[in-house]
Order: sequence, then structure tokens, then C-alpha cells
Amino acid sequence: MKKRILGICGGISFGIFLIIMFVIRGLGNDLPSQEMAKRWSKEGGTAQVSCFFSVNSGITQEQLQEFEHSVDGKLAEASVTLESENPSARLWVDAYSAEGTLSVSSDRASIQADAIGIGGDFFLFHPMTLLSGSYFSGNDLMQDYCLLDKDAAWQLFGSSDVAGMMVSINGIPHMVSGVVERPEGRLAENAGLDKTMVYVSYQTLQELGEHSGINHYEIVMPDPVTGFAVNMIRESFGTDPQEVEIVENTSRYSLVSRVKILMQFGIRSMNGKAIIYPYWENMARGYEDILALLTFFELFFLLFALAVALGLFIRWWRHKGWTVGGKIKALGGWIQLRMDRLRAGRREKKSEGFQGKKTIKATKPIKGKTYKSKTHKSKKSLDHRQEEEI
Amino acid sequence: MKEKGNKRREWVKTAAIIFLAVMLVLTFFSNTIMNYSLPEVATQYVMSDTITARIRGTGTVESGDPYNVEIKESRKVASVAVKVGDEVQKGDVLLYLDGMESDELKAAQDALEEKEKLLQDARDQYNAALLNPDISAEDIQAANGNISAAAYRQQITAAQKNIQPLEDQKKELEKQIADIDAQLTYETDLDAAAGTSVTAAESQLETTRSALEGANAAFQAAKANLDAANRELQQQTVSGNDTGAAKEKVAACQAAYTAAEANQNSAQTAYNNAVNTYNSAVANQKAREGSQTSSNLSKQKALLQVELYSVQKNLDDATKALEELVSLVTDKQSLDVLQMQIALAQRDVDEAREEVDTLLEKAQGTTVTADISGTVTAVNVTAGNTTSPGNPLVVLQPEGKGYTMSFTVTNDQARKLAVGDRADLVNAWRYDDVEVTLASKRPDPNSPGQNTLLTFDVTGLVTPGQSLSITVGQQSGNYDLVVPNSAIREDSNGKFILIVESRSTPIGTRYIATRVDVQVLASDDTKSAVSGGLYGYEYVITTATKPVDAGQQVRLTNN
Repeated sequence: MKKRILGICGGISFGIFLIIMFVIRGLGNDLPSQEMAKRWSKEGGTAQVSCFFSVNSGITQEQLQEFEHSVDGKLAEASVTLESENPSARLWVDAYSAEGTLSVSSDRASIQADAIGIGGDFFLFHPMTLLSGSYFSGNDLMQDYCLLDKDAAWQLFGSSDVAGMMVSINGIPHMVSGVVERPEGRLAENAGLDKTMVYVSYQTLQELGEHSGINHYEIVMPDPVTGFAVNMIRESFGTDPQEVEIVENTSRYSLVSRVKILMQFGIRSMNGKAIIYPYWENMARGYEDILALLTFFELFFLLFALAVALGLFIRWWRHKGWTVGGKIKALGGWIQLRMDRLRAGRREKKSEGFQGKKTIKATKPIKGKTYKSKTHKSKKSLDHRQEEEI
Repeated sequence: MKEKGNKRREWVKTAAIIFLAVMLVLTFFSNTIMNYSLPEVATQYVMSDTITARIRGTGTVESGDPYNVEIKESRKVASVAVKVGDEVQKGDVLLYLDGMESDELKAAQDALEEKEKLLQDARDQYNAALLNPDISAEDIQAANGNISAAAYRQQITAAQKNIQPLEDQKKELEKQIADIDAQLTYETDLDAAAGTSVTAAESQLETTRSALEGANAAFQAAKANLDAANRELQQQTVSGNDTGAAKEKVAACQAAYTAAEANQNSAQTAYNNAVNTYNSAVANQKAREGSQTSSNLSKQKALLQVELYSVQKNLDDATKALEELVSLVTDKQSLDVLQMQIALAQRDVDEAREEVDTLLEKAQGTTVTADISGTVTAVNVTAGNTTSPGNPLVVLQPEGKGYTMSFTVTNDQARKLAVGDRADLVNAWRYDDVEVTLASKRPDPNSPGQNTLLTFDVTGLVTPGQSLSITVGQQSGNYDLVVPNSAIREDSNGKFILIVESRSTPIGTRYIATRVDVQVLASDDTKSAVSGGLYGYEYVITTATKPVDAGQQVRLTNN
């Protein structure tokens, strides 16, 4: 009875482990901003790396451009070349952004909104649900687009279907390229998405808004060997660890990373850097905490199930009623018996085959069983002869 | 046993029926369930359309050939006669100035006075230098016949004679003051000692008084105890009781009484001595105060110091007089230098006078008038302001001249434009008869190599300073395959779109997202022209409720 209860507990524990494992897998794929590498290449071999700069780091567009020019050269040194037949294919894409505030007005209303000034392919990294219109890019011909969140669109126009309409930012007209859904929930709101948000080009934020310089840089690129991409970024931007934090998004939710976070229990909250994380990184860190906790329970239930299984096995082993030596002997005897029977069978077949030529014609098949048996034997002896010829 | 087998068969039958029922329901609703688990996508047709890349920008309207009205003086503006937008004719009054002299004229006159003073100083210095005893009498006589070399030297000797007695007198006075200081120090020490003695005596008096009072109280208490013991002894004796204990008590009280009495006498003696000491100290202090020795010494010292100050002043004057005489001692070469300084100072005076004359000749009247006919586009001063030379007071737009506006674009944007392109105004309904044409493209001097400065000619009802937002673009191009910008996606294999392909199945039509690699040929604000494996009538996915992968089944939006 006790053994059975223990077995049931072990089974339930293993079941819970499986459930938690699937939940972790689901949550790990829940944030689109962390999944750029998977979206960029289905075949794998790419890495997404994010850099977060402190307010005083003084990173400029020129520095980023200089880095961008060096990427192709470094990839070529690592023998990574473009293989796609599509002429528009690129090996890597990147984006940078800055946080600030802007005053946006329409004919109907005027609002003061949080703003993210973007450069590069920001919305490739951060695909949000479009309610209307389209994204824009830092590589577009014009840089006077703005992407409103649903709240901003509602306040400015009273509708979400406002793509193509004009708003004024500090008196300069800008075109609304689209409207996006703003993520909701406890995590999103505490991460910084509790206010009206407007996405504009970095140029617009720089010229017309208030900001503290470029705060974030992201890149997705080939990772021919593990750590190639993140080391390259670290060499370029991470010279002063106090001014920058570098995160490899691709593996941040792997088991090893989650266990590392568990090992940092108590010291993870300590921060000596003047870095303000954007909302997507805050959410990603929140997910890290949640997944670390789940990982703790996952490992706990797995270890419990393994311990129970091991205990039951040991108990069974002690009370099994036989020995390995006895079993080996029995197996040897059984093999010997089979061999003897085979040899006897062969000898019998040989002798029957020799007499069969004389008796087949004289014997009539009176019963099916006898007939079948003889036919079978004759077929076997035929096969045997064929084998000998071969 | 048989009953148990029947129950088992019933259970199997029930389970089979439930299973079949569930399977039947799932079969009926499988399509619906599947549809609601699929990502919902919005689609648009791939169609033939025009693409026009337009450049937008905002600039400030400026006068094409502005005329600045300015004056060369710093004058206070009394009133402004025009405002922006006024049309003026040549000679019309623009500003009124107050009648005060200009700051420049005042400064020039002050400079002239200063230089004239410097000239006079140079001349005086030269005249004084002529008294130098090292200079030969001939030079002095040649330079200035009024003072001879002998007279000059006599002046120096007389000045030196004046100094010696004053120095002796000063030394004597300083010695007397030092003696008085020593006496004052001694007397002050005595005064301080007398004061200290009185304080100490006061303290001693107070202490002994307290001790005496304590001794008196102890004496009275001992006396009262003795009387009580005696009365008790008498009562015991009268009553015929045992008097041994009472006698012992009387003896003890008598001993305490005797000791208290001795103590009282000792305290009284100490108190009397303290009173004598205090009186003596007070008398000594009063005697010192009555003598007024320190006060007299201080008065005497003050008188001597006044006398010393007077002597010092006379000595300083005499020394200064001698130094002035000696300072004039130069050689012949210095005379030449001084002569040169006089010449230079004279030249400066002439120049300053010329400057004053010029300013007086060119002095602005009390009005500033228009030099040309035109429209006032800016008035940079108000009444009460002070004008400054070189800064335009009023800006006029000459008659018959147009306006311009300019802004900076990137070189990529500039390549899309050609001189002569006509621009449209954003919110054109706000303006009337305004035409904007691209007049020139040239490198932006602020960021050459990266940006281009576009200059536009503006005609119509605009005013300088007005901000205009325009869009200007190249000629539209027709393309066969045009998709919304939101349909363009990208991964490591390049840009692509997802089209929806329908497949008929026994349980209905299924929609599958299919990838088509494309190249973007041209884009505008909302759509892009593409080339790729398309026929031109496909549905292209623009947005979806969930991420969609190629080959994935999707469902279309209801609208």
C-alpha cells in the first residue's frame, strides 16, 4: 500500500513537471521582442543582441553607423556570406531607439505623450498589433511618420482608423503611418506602458522633443559559433561596463540562463548602472523572474519524481528473488538447448530430405494436416538446399 | 461472477456511446473549432497603381531680396511710425529718434577731452624735467628760461633741510609715548590686582559668614539639649527616682554644648578677620580709583599722539616735496622722449577732434526714412530701444520682388526632386493663390555631403516669417504590382509577402498563407510597388491577430 501511494505521488510529480515544462516553453515564446532571431531565420544560427546605454553614455548616430559599417567586414572574416537568391536579402538588421516626450496635436486635440524615437528597422524587432496602417522604418525616404498607440489615436482623432492623417509635432506636420494596439496587463503597465505612447523617427525626437540621447540598440545577425555576435557587440560597445548592459535575447530563457537567474537570488535586484530599461526589456526581465520561479518548481518536481523512481527501483531490486548469476546461467542453458534443438532439427531434415525423394510420389495426401506438414517440410528442405547452393 | 461480467459489459457499452457521441460532435464542429484557433488575417488585393514618392518639409517665408534700413549711430528710439505689412514710399518716415547726442558722439567727445588732458600732462612733465640738476644749465635755459639750474638745486637743498628737524621731533615724541605706555601697563596691573583682592575678600567674607551662621545654629541646638537634660535630672531628683541615666545624659549634652561654643567662637574670629580683609581691600581699591593715575597717563598719551601725527604729516609732506623734486631728475635723453610723447599726444588730440567733427557732420536727424519703396517685413526696434550701428532697424521688401523659403533634406530625398518641381501646400485650403516652386538645390553648408538645402520661390499672399509646410514629389510612376506597405515583410531570405491561397477540402475551403519573395521597386507613404512571382490578383496579408508563418492555415476577417 505504502509503495503504491509513493508511486502515485511520483507519477503526479512527474506529471506536474511536464505541465510546468510546457508552460515555460509557452511563456518563453510569448514576447515577440525576444523572438526576432527565430523570425529572422527559421534555420537558426542567428542571434539577437540588445544593448542598453546609460543616460550619460553619449552614444551617437555616427558611432552606430561606424559600427554598422564594420559588421559586414567582421562577418566576412568569419566566412559568413549571403546565400539567399533574393536580391533584397540582408545578413543582419539592426535598430536603435531613444525615449523622450513629445507634444502632439491635431485639429481636434493636443496631447503630451511618451515617445520613442526610432532608427533602423525598429518594428522588425518589436512587431505590435496594427489596428490600421503600417509600420515605418528609420531607412524610409521620409522621416516624418509617426505611429500612434490606440489611446493616442483616440485622444487626437477619436478613432483608430487614422493612417495617412496629419498631426503636428511642435508645429511641424507629421503623417500618421498607423495605429497599434498597446499591450495591457499588470506586467505591461508596470513596465512603462501605462501612458500614451507615440513612435516617431529619432530625427523627429531629436529635433522636436525632449530626450536624453540614444538609449537602446538591437541587432540580429548570424552567429556562426555560440557567442560570436554578443562578443562582437561587447567589443564595440561594452568597453565601459558601467555605461552599457548587453543582453543576448536568443538564449535568455534557456534552462541554463534560468538556472543562472536562480543562482543570482538576492543579488539580481542590485544595480549600479544609470540605465533606464525600455518597456520591452522591463517585460522581458519580468518574464525572466516568472520563468525562474517556475524553473525552481520544475526542477523540484522532477527531482522528487526521480527520487521516488530510484527508491522504488532499489526496493524492487532488493526483493527481486533472483540473482544476476542465476539468470545468466539460465540464459546460457536456454541458448544451449536451442542450439541443440536446431542441430537435431537440421540432422532430421537432412535425413528426411534424402528419403523424401523416394516417398513423395507413393504417398497421397489423405489429411490436410499431413499434407501441409509434408509440403512445409519439403519447402523448408528446398530452402535449405538453396541456402547451401548460395 | 456472471453478474460481475454483465456489469463490466454495461460499463464498456456506456463508454463507447459517450466516445462516439463526442466524436460525432467534434466531427460536426471541427471546422468551426479549427477556424477559431487559427490566426485571423486582413487582406488586400495586389493591384496595379501609381506610386509617387513625395518629400515633405517646413520652412519660413523670407523676403527674396530684403532691404535693411539701418543707421550708424546708437540713438534712442522715440517712436516707430510703421508696422509689419505697411507699404511705404521712398522718403516716408519709419522711425523717430530723440534729440540727444548719439552715444558715439559722446564717446568721441570724451575721448577728445581725455587726450587733450594727456597732452597737457605731457607738456607739464616736460617742463618739470627741465629742472633736473644733471641737465646742463644750457639745456634748462634753452628749454625753459623761467627757472634756472641754481634755483632748482636750492629748492632741493631747502627741502632736505626741512626734513631733518621733523625726523628728530618724531623720534622724541615716539620715545615719550613709549615711556607712558610702560607706566600705563604698570598702573593697569595694580588696578587689576586691587580688583582681584576685593573679589577674593568678598568671597572669603561670604564663606566665613556662612560658617558663623552654621556654628550659631549648632550652639543654640546644643544649649537647648543641655537645658532639657537638666530639667529631666531635676524631675528625677524631685520624684526620688534613679538619676544615673539622667546624669549621664546631662554630661553628654554639656560636652556637646562646650564644643559648639568653642566652634562658634572660632567662626566668629574667622568672620571678623574676613571683614577686616575686605574693608582693607575696598579701601585700597578706592584709593587707586581716587588717584586717577591711569586716566591722566592716557590723556597725556593721546596728546602726544596728536602731536606725533602732526609731525608725521609735516614729515610726509616734506619727503614728498623732496621726492617730487628728485623725481624730476632725468637726463637729456628723457627730455627727448618727453618731447616725443608731446608730439604723439598732439596727434591723438588731432585725430579725436577730427572724429568728433565727422560725427557731427554725419549726425542723424530725429527721423529715419525709407530709402526705397516697398513693404515693411520686419521692425526690429520699439520705442525706448537704443539703436546699434550695423543692425537693421526696419526690413523692407522692395516692390516687385518675390519671397523665398528653404529647408534641408537628405541627399536621398533631394535626388527625387528636380528644380522647377511645383510643391503643394499641406492644408492648402488655408491659403489663397500661393504657389511654391523649387528654385535651387545646393549642399547644406551646415552638413555638407549629407544634406541638401532646397530653396523655393513663393508667390502669393504670404508674409515673411510665416511658416509653410509643403509636399513636393517626382512624377508618379505606374506599376502593375502594388501592395500596402504593411504587407511587406522581411527575414534573412529577403523581403517577401504572404498571400492567401484557398484549397477546397471535403469539409470546406481552407486558406493557406503562402510566401512570395519580392523586391521593392518603389514606395510612397502607404504602398509599395513590388516585383516577384505574382499574377496580380492575389490576396495579400496586411495584418494578423497572431504571427503567421508561411504554409500556415489562416482564416479571413469577416469584413
